[in-house]
Amino acid sequence: MKSGTLELEGISRRFGQTVALDNLNLTIGAGELVALLGPSGCGKTTALRIVAGLERSDAGTVALKGRDVTNLSAHLRNMGMVFQSYSLFPNLSAVENVEFGLKMRKVERASRRKTALELLELVGLDTQSRRFPHQLSGGQQQRVALARALAIQPEVLLLDEPLSALDAQVRTNLREEIRRLQISLGTTTLFVTHDQEEAMAISDRVGVMSNGRLEQIDIPDILYNNPASTFVANFVGTMNHIPAIASEDAVDIFGKKIRIKNPDGKIGKVSALVRPESIEVSRVQGNGQAKIVTRSFLGASSQIVCQLPDGVIIQALMPSHASGELHPGEEVNLNISIHEVLISHV
Amino acid sequence: MAAMRSRFSFALPLTLAVASLFIFLPFGSSAEFSFRSYSQDGKLMHSFAPYRWIVEQPEFLSHLLLSLKIALFAVIFTAILVVPSVAWLHLKAQLFRPLVELITLLPLVIPVVALSIGVQTAFPDWLQSTEYELPLMYVILALPFTFRILDNGLQAIPLKTISEAARGLGANWFATIFYVIAPVMRRAVAGAFFLTFALSLGEFTLTSLLHWDTFPTWVTSVSQQNIIGAIALSVFSLTFAFLVVFFAGLSSSRSKKRMDATE
Amino acid sequence: MTNSYVSSKGVSRKGGTFARRNLILAAPLLPLLAYLGFFFFWPMFAVVVDSLKNNDHQWSLINFTTIAQKPYSTAFKNSILLGALSALFASIPGAIFAYVIEVRGSEKLKSLVTSLSGVLANTGGVPLAFMFIATFGAQGSAIKILKALGIDLYSGGFTLFSFSGIVFVYLYFQIPLMVIIFSPALHSVRNEWRDAAKNLGATPKKFWTTIGIPLLFPSFAASFLLLFASGFAAYATARAMTVGNIALVPLVIGTLVDGNVQVDQANVGKSLAVGMVLISALAMIPYLIIQRRARRWQQ
Repeated sequence: MKSGTLELEGISRRFGQTVALDNLNLTIGAGELVALLGPSGCGKTTALRIVAGLERSDAGTVALKGRDVTNLSAHLRNMGMVFQSYSLFPNLSAVENVEFGLKMRKVERASRRKTALELLELVGLDTQSRRFPHQLSGGQQQRVALARALAIQPEVLLLDEPLSALDAQVRTNLREEIRRLQISLGTTTLFVTHDQEEAMAISDRVGVMSNGRLEQIDIPDILYNNPASTFVANFVGTMNHIPAIASEDAVDIFGKKIRIKNPDGKIGKVSALVRPESIEVSRVQGNGQAKIVTRSFLGASSQIVCQLPDGVIIQALMPSHASGELHPGEEVNLNISIHEVLISHV
Repeated sequence: MAAMRSRFSFALPLTLAVASLFIFLPFGSSAEFSFRSYSQDGKLMHSFAPYRWIVEQPEFLSHLLLSLKIALFAVIFTAILVVPSVAWLHLKAQLFRPLVELITLLPLVIPVVALSIGVQTAFPDWLQSTEYELPLMYVILALPFTFRILDNGLQAIPLKTISEAARGLGANWFATIFYVIAPVMRRAVAGAFFLTFALSLGEFTLTSLLHWDTFPTWVTSVSQQNIIGAIALSVFSLTFAFLVVFFAGLSSSRSKKRMDATE
Repeated sequence: MTNSYVSSKGVSRKGGTFARRNLILAAPLLPLLAYLGFFFFWPMFAVVVDSLKNNDHQWSLINFTTIAQKPYSTAFKNSILLGALSALFASIPGAIFAYVIEVRGSEKLKSLVTSLSGVLANTGGVPLAFMFIATFGAQGSAIKILKALGIDLYSGGFTLFSFSGIVFVYLYFQIPLMVIIFSPALHSVRNEWRDAAKNLGATPKKFWTTIGIPLLFPSFAASFLLLFASGFAAYATARAMTVGNIALVPLVIGTLVDGNVQVDQANVGKSLAVGMVLISALAMIPYLIIQRRARRWQQ
């Protein structure tokens, strides 16, 4: 069964007075991995559960391969879902868990056992097939859950923060595995997470959500370099807020005039949003624009934290070989190496 | 699930209706019964007369006080014996926890009737002639529950860690117990005390078989002469028990809300 | 396993210190264990010993052969039946009620049910018996209501003090007991399992048959066992309700203890107690084992 496109149109949902989703529109192409990224309460999980059919929307439609499934019961939608944790059936072994969907579809025993074992091998757990969930580690459980979701050859794969409950190292390995599998199987995937690094690392496109709305959906590069709003700019990656004075179309930062990407005509005090890797730090004799607070060696890059005279903290990220001579307490000058910045009003 | 919900939405109200009938029919009936009295010419009236009669009985106060005293001592013995033991288990002797837990479950296996025989057979005369043998035994009867309450309460707390932290900051053992351990155990201890107290007040079997006369057994003897009075007593004790549990539940949820709010 | 272990200081110590260290850790627990030993194990031990002695204080099995015959065997049969029936008729309604409350009830309702069940489950004996006399006794309120509706239960020879009457009364504390002990198992049926099952194509019915009921069955069986033991061993209610017409083991022991009845064997009461313990243990030990195992996945 080839995966198809998933379309959400006008999805809205409220819980009492709270608006969980506000007119959400989203199209996921066949074979695409799209992440919904946002803080707790932004509506991403609600959206996912509506797609799965585990919750109903107040308005809007969900279409799969052009077919309207909005009112189709969850158990008929043929979507595979992986939950955050604890979703394996405790009374069934790993292989019995994986073949559960096939059992529901009345696939005969030998055939479904074979498929289940193949999938377990795919996620590297064929030796643990007879183990029960409580005998498996968190990472192993999630891999079984993934195999279980894929066993039914779903048209859409839904992942609800599958890595949040795992250790850091396991998380990084497993997310790569998920991506590999997804690409090789060509499964259309919707992936919900609050971890922006995770979303950016493996997705074709990332949709940033806030308060039930989709703020921006784009490929990771554009999201990072061309955030559409200050919320997206702050949520994705690290952002410095540098106090600056704005004129009509440019800001003055550290003595340099830089074009404003989102001018709104207001002049006066603003915060210029600058990424750490766009700031160069150099030592000066005498008084500088800032003083170094700490330097953290991170391998290829080093993070240099400086403090301006008025107390504002600036984070810079520079190649380690270019910043080896910088030490805490030294006076430095800062240089913005990009040509336009986003501003936000304080 | 939404579809299923609408199909079976009658389930909750129906179940509650049946349950309410189950509970309130006997209770309501007993309440009605308890207010009955017969006038001179045999007519049925309702008044507080039976309740007044109970309270006027000389044995009412003496038996009530006896039961309260016994319950109090049961709590005291539990405080001295069980609470420190469970605290120690969690603090230093985690190794023995499963074993001790198993042992404390044994009183559940033995019927109270059998235990009464055992007491009658084994205990020396001096012990059997004091009413304090009752609270001493009630500690055993309550042990499976008190242990579980205290154990569960302590599971949620890293007792060992916070005690070591206190000691590292310079507190001696006394200060550690007073400022760190005791406050953290407060709710579990209260629960254990409450259960012991309630169990002791209502305990009938052991008391009756050992031929002691406390409040519950007195109620039985009252029934011989005045069934209405006995029923009034039963209604009274049930109402009392329910009110206590209800308010205890209210206050614990209120303090829980306060705790959640401060997080 | 060698006797020595390497301490945190990296120095190997001999077995003696290891054992002594454990002894020091265990020492503060001795009061509790000694208390249990004196107030619990010793009485039970004494009962077992005495049950094996005849009137001449010699070892003998005569007490046990006595209780294997009538009228004692009848008492055992009755008590076992009482335990089984009250457990049967309480476990299913109790489980259903607990389920509905767990799935559909609000938090407030759940805590109300918990405290109410707690009170009712411990409502044994005297208050309970009298409550039922007040309701269903000859002068009871429910009887009067039914009479007003034209139904006279007592005309057909109904009496509360029959075997079925006692089973009925026992339900009153057995059902709340079931609600208390079974609710935690229901509570631990995670929503994720239902959602995952639905997602994989299971109807609610399929979920229950493949996942829900298999998961809950051990706890249900364990609860049944507890209810059996509870109904079997209950004394107070039976004492307050029967007028000597029904033989139940706890009651027989009670009359023997009162010393009003002469029996051939002085220690028959003790062997009855031992019999009770054996039957109770037969139910309670599986109960405890199942509960321990079930707690594993209920975390």
